[in-house]
Amino acid sequence: MEIVVCVKPIPEAETRLRVGADGTTFDAEGVKFVLAGYDESAVEQALLLKEAIPGSRVHVISAGPSPRTDEVLRASVALGCDLATCVDLSSANSAADPIAIARALASALATVPHDLVLCGKQAGDDEAGLVAPALGELLGVPDFGYVVDLRWDAARKLLKFQRWGESGLELWEAPTPCVIGLQQAWNDPRTAKLPAILKSRKAPIARAAPPAGPTSPSSRPERFELPPPRLGARLIEYKTPQEAAEKLVKLLREEAKVFP
Amino acid sequence: MTPPVLVFGEVHEGRVASASLEAIAVARELAGPSDPVIGFVAGSRGEAAAADFARFGVGRVLVAEDPRLDAAPVGAIAHAVTAAARSSGSSLLVAGGTTFGRELVGRLAVRWEAAVATGVTEATRVDGTLRVRRAIFGGRASETRRLEGERSAIAIRPHAFPPPVERPGALAIERVATGDLPASLMAPHRTEVKAPDRGAGPGLTDAAIVVSGGRGLRGPSEFHLVEDLAASLDAAVGASRAVTDAGWRPASFQVGQTGKAVSPQLYIAVGISGAIQHLVGMVSSRVIVAINSDAGAPIFKVADYGIVGDLFEIVPALTAEVRRARGR
Ligand SMILES: Cc1cc2nc3c(=O)[nH]c(=O)nc-3n(C[C@H](O)[C@H](O)[C@H](O)COP(=O)(O)OP(=O)(O)OC[C@H]3O[C@@H](n4cnc5c(N)ncnc54)[C@H](O)[C@@H]3O)c2cc1C
Ligand SMILES: Nc1ncnc2c1ncn2[C@@H]1O[C@H](COP(=O)(O)O)[C@@H](O)[C@H]1O
Repeated sequence: MEIVVCVKPIPEAETRLRVGADGTTFDAEGVKFVLAGYDESAVEQALLLKEAIPGSRVHVISAGPSPRTDEVLRASVALGCDLATCVDLSSANSAADPIAIARALASALATVPHDLVLCGKQAGDDEAGLVAPALGELLGVPDFGYVVDLRWDAARKLLKFQRWGESGLELWEAPTPCVIGLQQAWNDPRTAKLPAILKSRKAPIARAAPPAGPTSPSSRPERFELPPPRLGARLIEYKTPQEAAEKLVKLLREEAKVFP
Repeated sequence: MTPPVLVFGEVHEGRVASASLEAIAVARELAGPSDPVIGFVAGSRGEAAAADFARFGVGRVLVAEDPRLDAAPVGAIAHAVTAAARSSGSSLLVAGGTTFGRELVGRLAVRWEAAVATGVTEATRVDGTLRVRRAIFGGRASETRRLEGERSAIAIRPHAFPPPVERPGALAIERVATGDLPASLMAPHRTEVKAPDRGAGPGLTDAAIVVSGGRGLRGPSEFHLVEDLAASLDAAVGASRAVTDAGWRPASFQVGQTGKAVSPQLYIAVGISGAIQHLVGMVSSRVIVAINSDAGAPIFKVADYGIVGDLFEIVPALTAEVRRARGR
């Protein structure tokens, strides 16, 4: 099976976010970019399928300004992915619009064989969850988000998976090709071994040009804001646990107005 | 006539999902005084579901009464929605923060050539320009986006807007044809739906109140203290990674960087230290309460209210007080 995983470089979780110079997005200066959390699940899922289906290959694709794309592509190769492609989106605008990203990925996929395209269900920076469904529409195949478990039924040549729907955990069967947005690892993603990390430094990365022409309609970030810092907890003074409980319930009810 | 604003109603067992109904108020506000708001539902029980719209004052509902859409992938629903949007002349669609609602707008970005946004917490339309505000970076920041183009589709964030107000009125149903659905979109099959267990899945991510437990609970047999408190509040149950890694509760309970991101109205952290990887998953909650024996625990830096004390004493007292206050 030809498996493609779309991976997005996002600021590592510990990053102290700052407002960028033009105020529309965050300041990327000095920020370390890593694989988005759900994308780690997607890579792990791809590698598990590759191990289960003989003759499979895993191709990772990342769209955005390099070198941050190359970092996450190499990290994926170090984990066991076979091929890597970067779609160079140097223009900050299209890199900030999930639909423009989906169009860039779809145009790269025109020359990359793909039975199954795996994405994260949403990226931890823009939290959009738009790339997988837009990619499904662009490729003319179904997409499924919020997927938590994915297996291949070799006898029936079908994908079997579970996804969180509005009324619970749904079980699905689907033929390939399709796009899957993964929710989270139900098993811990593997970590790369040092020799593989060193080797991945020299792994070839194919370069694909972004699609030509305008990508409107689109959405454009105008303002990036950080919340006012939290002041720290108001500590409740009490002599007995009952008193603490009574005071807290009163505050939640009368002051915070969140008591059900 | 001004173009109507379309509200997508996700149907489950003949009812419109409550998260979808939250979109009505947003649509009304964006529509302005003279533009109509109309509903859309699909599936073999679409006509029954349309009554839910009428209950909240949306009297005109487009119904794609088509059994093929009962358990279809979102791509097929996007076909039906696009057909309905075109036939009604609508240029703006609002969906609730349901799983399909969020994915639907991604498909509409291409199929309906709409500018789109998900997780919307504020939306304004001034002189035809639609601007939305949304939480990003797990709630550690927010952004304002301008949607450019003739058509737009947005999915709102669950609980971000007040629940709809009942104003029962007349119902006029308009049947819309789905037309041909490509075979590729109809090949997948939903074989089963299991009800969510407490604390897992959207139950956790979409809950209005979350009570989470950490290593401070000492073991799997004490974790019920958190679950009892959650039950008294009708809340979902979460956990720190220390708890899920130790196998006290399944991974689906984990809140944080490598678990679920939650932003309920109220988050109660019990015996959780507040490591950065946990905080990124819950810091955008509206009100945070921390119960911890260590006054120096970092969780108190992000909490609104704190109780420094032994959870084994505080939590049972709190559960009892909540039950008393709620009369149960
Ligand atoms: C890459 C990476 C990803 C991670 N992802 C996540 C994630 O998604 N989610 C997550 O939660 N963690 C995550 N972690 C782990 C995180 O760093 C912390 O180790 C974890 O959150 C700690 O869990 P805890 O607060 O339950 O335990 P601890 O840090 O051990 O805290 C226990 C707390 O309980 C208090 N306590 C003890 N006894 C009592 C008592 N009797 N009464 C009241 N309070 C008491 C203590 O004072 C202490 O503050 C991740 C770590 C890494 C490196
Ligand atoms: N720039 C990108 N390059 C490759 N894949 C991406 C990119 N942006 C998003 N994706 C994929 O789409 C998923 C959802 O992203 P988003 O729609 O931005 O929330 C991510 O988890 C990735 O799998």
